[in-house]
Amino acid sequence: MARFTSMAYGSADEMVFGTAKNPVKYGRDFEVGGGYVFPELVVHPRPGSEETKKSLLREYEKAVSDALERCVTLGFPGIQIELEHVYQMTRYPDWGGDIAAQTKKLMEDCYKKYGLKSAIRSTIADYRKPDEEDMRQSDAMKTTLEAFEACGAGGTDNLSIESVGGKEISDYTIVRQDIRGVLFGIGVLGSIDVENLWKQVVAIAAKHGATPGGETDCAQANVAMFMAGGYLDKSVPHTFAAICRAIAAARSLVAYEQGAKGPTKDCAYEDPIIKAITGVPIAMEGKTCACAHADMLGNLVASCCDLWSNEAVEYHDMFGGTSAAVFTEILGYDVALMNTAIQMGKAKDLRDMLVNSDKYRDTHGFILAPVNAYEIGKAIVSKSDSYYARARAGGIKAAELMRADANLQLSAFERQVLDSTYDALLSLPDNEQNFIDECINIYKKVVPGFKPSNYGL
Amino acid sequence: MSAALDYSKIFVRYDLKLERGTKEHGAQSDDILKKVVNCVVDGDVDNINALVTEALQTIDPLKVISALVDGMNEVSRLWDEGIYYLPQAIISSDVMLEGVDLCEQKMGKAMEKKGVVVTHTAEGDIHDLGQKIANALLRANGYEVIDLGKDVPVDEVISAVKQYKPIMVTGTALMTTTMTAFEKIASRLEREGVDLPFVCGGGAVSEEYVTGYNLGVWGKDASQAPPMASDAASGKNWRQLREKYNG
Repeated sequence: MARFTSMAYGSADEMVFGTAKNPVKYGRDFEVGGGYVFPELVVHPRPGSEETKKSLLREYEKAVSDALERCVTLGFPGIQIELEHVYQMTRYPDWGGDIAAQTKKLMEDCYKKYGLKSAIRSTIADYRKPDEEDMRQSDAMKTTLEAFEACGAGGTDNLSIESVGGKEISDYTIVRQDIRGVLFGIGVLGSIDVENLWKQVVAIAAKHGATPGGETDCAQANVAMFMAGGYLDKSVPHTFAAICRAIAAARSLVAYEQGAKGPTKDCAYEDPIIKAITGVPIAMEGKTCACAHADMLGNLVASCCDLWSNEAVEYHDMFGGTSAAVFTEILGYDVALMNTAIQMGKAKDLRDMLVNSDKYRDTHGFILAPVNAYEIGKAIVSKSDSYYARARAGGIKAAELMRADANLQLSAFERQVLDSTYDALLSLPDNEQNFIDECINIYKKVVPGFKPSNYGL
Repeated sequence: MSAALDYSKIFVRYDLKLERGTKEHGAQSDDILKKVVNCVVDGDVDNINALVTEALQTIDPLKVISALVDGMNEVSRLWDEGIYYLPQAIISSDVMLEGVDLCEQKMGKAMEKKGVVVTHTAEGDIHDLGQKIANALLRANGYEVIDLGKDVPVDEVISAVKQYKPIMVTGTALMTTTMTAFEKIASRLEREGVDLPFVCGGGAVSEEYVTGYNLGVWGKDASQAPPMASDAASGKNWRQLREKYNG
């Protein structure tokens, strides 16, 4: 199977917002990564609206209409809207499909009337339970694939997912600061599951003329990052969470090896590393996702984005209109600034400002600054002989970078965690099979329901 | 360019200002019970079995359990003071429970629990990490946990409450569109005449939502589960818990 063995970019300095080595065109005159940044709005339905298909359709109709209208009102050239499935939209595939079709109709009307460029991303909810069912043959798996089919048939432009393979192990090990288990759950099991899943997603996308978009390690690395939180939180150490992220990059990379084209998923904070390796356009979320969660790299993550997102905002009224309209406006002006910088030949200046705002604010921003993301990418592709080896290499490189830069200030506790995690990574076996055997032996005893056969092991 | 910047003009590292230092290593001791305490405090998974086994050769299991609890209490203190993080608390709870298990085997019976807590993650939601953390902390604090798992239908929660008669029920959800099951559970429990705290939290679950239905008490995070269970065990009702923890 083909694996990335080299970098798409010659250096980190080439990476800048709005431009990707491999731009993607779809939707209504919509190109991502072709020298322009578009907003990507994500609106979630209010609690209760999921009770029936009719009420959910109506909720999305209002939200999408509000967003499109605000684009036209303020003169924004285009927008992508993500239909990030709530459980019911995947569990009942026709719901997700009908909402995609309805959104397409609204966008086509707007395109014909105003020329507003637009595209739809449908993100399927992966509700498989890794510790309770057959990950490859369960009803949940079949329904997930049916949901992809329905959305493709409904006319979505971009099919994406936040898959959960290996989560039973990573959940257990992230809260125990066990880097071996994280490497196993994300780097090995996660990669194997992404490979199996994305082969099928790519085939479904081709059947319907949709673009296989992107993956995210939301279910694992974002758990570590969100638990790490901010300066007052004492859940997961920040250095540990950053190493989890570097490992996650090697795992999400598998989707692009299987044929995903991007733009990637907004909540995949590993995306700067993915862009450096693959050249696919990336969606990112930062300060504009404060509606969903606090973010310690709110400016930095915009530095090489191609879509700029808000992660998720619940649909409701605000003083300035509905949340769909308000967040469209916030995103629209953010990207207008980036596009102005591109027009003025100042894109790299703005990129560097965004980076310096947050590079040393926290460990996640540090490792995802383009210069460091690029180095982690290089470490990953240098060990392409196995999923394990490259995920481990990414983790080790992230730790080395954090240990080496004096500007990244760390508490004594964080320094201790960083050093011990680094030592633990170095002490692991070099051989993938030896590592897998060791991990199966350990985690079968302590993680109820863990079935290696879910991953062909 | 980066080296020339004064980052203190861009952000303030409050975490470093608040730094409490790291835990000093506990004094070495020949006293086997002190070793047991230190083993829990250090989260020493590798040695707890041997240490407790050795202790049980000469010491009453209840005294060994008491040492294990003392260790966990010290861990709680270190966590409260910000010296320990969650992983240290979780690992120590693993160590403590392994030790307790050995003591119970020696006694030939389980130690008396402070009460039963039923936990679940909402129907349609597979994000159960918060529930798992709450489970671990509740068990380490002496409660029997009936873990219904994730994606649990409303009927199953109602049946479990009737069967186990818990002092408290918890519900976890990541999404606002799955948390709506909580309201249905609360309503059904009320209709069945069950009056107990139903602690709900996680992800997008808001205080405003949870305090909008009877029985509901909003849990900010999993670490609140043991003190809430303690209050429930002492006889406080859901209104008193809501007054103490919410609002």
